[in-house]
Amino acid sequence: MANLKDIRDRIKSVKSIQKVTKAMKMVAAAKMRRAQDNMEKARPYSRSLSDIIQNLLPDVDRELLPLLEVREVNRIAYVVVTSDKGLAGSFNSSALRKAQNEIDEFGKDNVDIFCIGKKARDYFKPRKYNIIESHIDFWSDLNFNHAVSIGNNIINHFISGKVDEIRVVFNEFINVATQMVLTEKFVPLEFDSEGSNIADRLYEPSKDAIVKSLVPRHLNVQMWKYLLESYASEQAARMVAMENATSNSEDMIKDLQLEFNKARQASITTEMLEIVSGAEALKG
Amino acid sequence: MNSFKLEIVTPTEINEVENASYVRCPATDGSFGIMKGHREAVIALGVGEIKITEEGKDSYFATSGGVAEISKDKVQFLLETIEVANDIDSDRAKASMQRSKDRLSNKKDNDINRAELSLLKALNRLKVSSR
Repeated sequence: MANLKDIRDRIKSVKSIQKVTKAMKMVAAAKMRRAQDNMEKARPYSRSLSDIIQNLLPDVDRELLPLLEVREVNRIAYVVVTSDKGLAGSFNSSALRKAQNEIDEFGKDNVDIFCIGKKARDYFKPRKYNIIESHIDFWSDLNFNHAVSIGNNIINHFISGKVDEIRVVFNEFINVATQMVLTEKFVPLEFDSEGSNIADRLYEPSKDAIVKSLVPRHLNVQMWKYLLESYASEQAARMVAMENATSNSEDMIKDLQLEFNKARQASITTEMLEIVSGAEALKG
Repeated sequence: MNSFKLEIVTPTEINEVENASYVRCPATDGSFGIMKGHREAVIALGVGEIKITEEGKDSYFATSGGVAEISKDKVQFLLETIEVANDIDSDRAKASMQRSKDRLSNKKDNDINRAELSLLKALNRLKVSSR
């Protein structure tokens, strides 16, 4: 039988862990709301931009822009979006597993990897994958410029011909309880061809020039979207994980308390037995 | 009323100007103005200054470019960044101008396009902030 002091100490330590998980849950909830807000704000821009491009694309020569060029795929790059910090349930592990499966299927030697977040870097580096770049320590003050600078390097990797296709693995935020790991093709850009529906429109300076200036901007906002989705998912996953941890520790405290009470009663019973039998002996 | 609705949409926020009477914006080959009843158009915007006249009052903004979509009922600007003249930190703009100038004079740096673009942006922000 565990002694009383041990049980009391365990209850104390579980209680203090519970305080931490509760606090983490609340922090994650606040951050998630902010991330969701940002996602809402980015949507109109991204939608209008892709509408314009989609309208123009059928009238534009695809060879105009290297970013639209579809090449035979010999070598690809994967952008793996994870977080810097753990304690977020299966958020990182499921993204990493999916990425690794796809990379191994294509052939590890023909894949370049861009790691976003510490977890991706720490996973692929010791396994000797071909890492081109890692972006870490930016999640806490995530802003649009990060998306632009990360996106630029990745796009240059494609334009310079080092890879023929770039895919992004990230967690899509569906709702608080559900995040789904997705793989999306980043470049070359593909749009469903759809004829322009507005005929009498002025294009200044020219359709080609507009597409040329908008495609990089579209990719910037696309990258921004990936980062936001992933960030919101990370916080949601952490919130749920911490919620579970808190309720588990609640159960644990209950069990320990019960055990403590039993032990206390047992020791009282023993003491009483001792006193009674002592008194009996004295009576003779 | 000779006014129209202007929507300024960026990746991080949406601003609406309900009663704009005149907007001047930087197209890639020179500024142009928009008034009510402009024909439908899609116009690429470069780095430059946007002037918005609303109910007789002018306000100035700096942008790093994007696109203007003019349709019958409204005008929509899709911009990567937009800054109100008063909010521009001119010291930071000066510092960034100096940085890009240094980079341009340093022949070893091969990313001249990028340095030129950032010089252009810095100069533009300085110009707008002095309004």
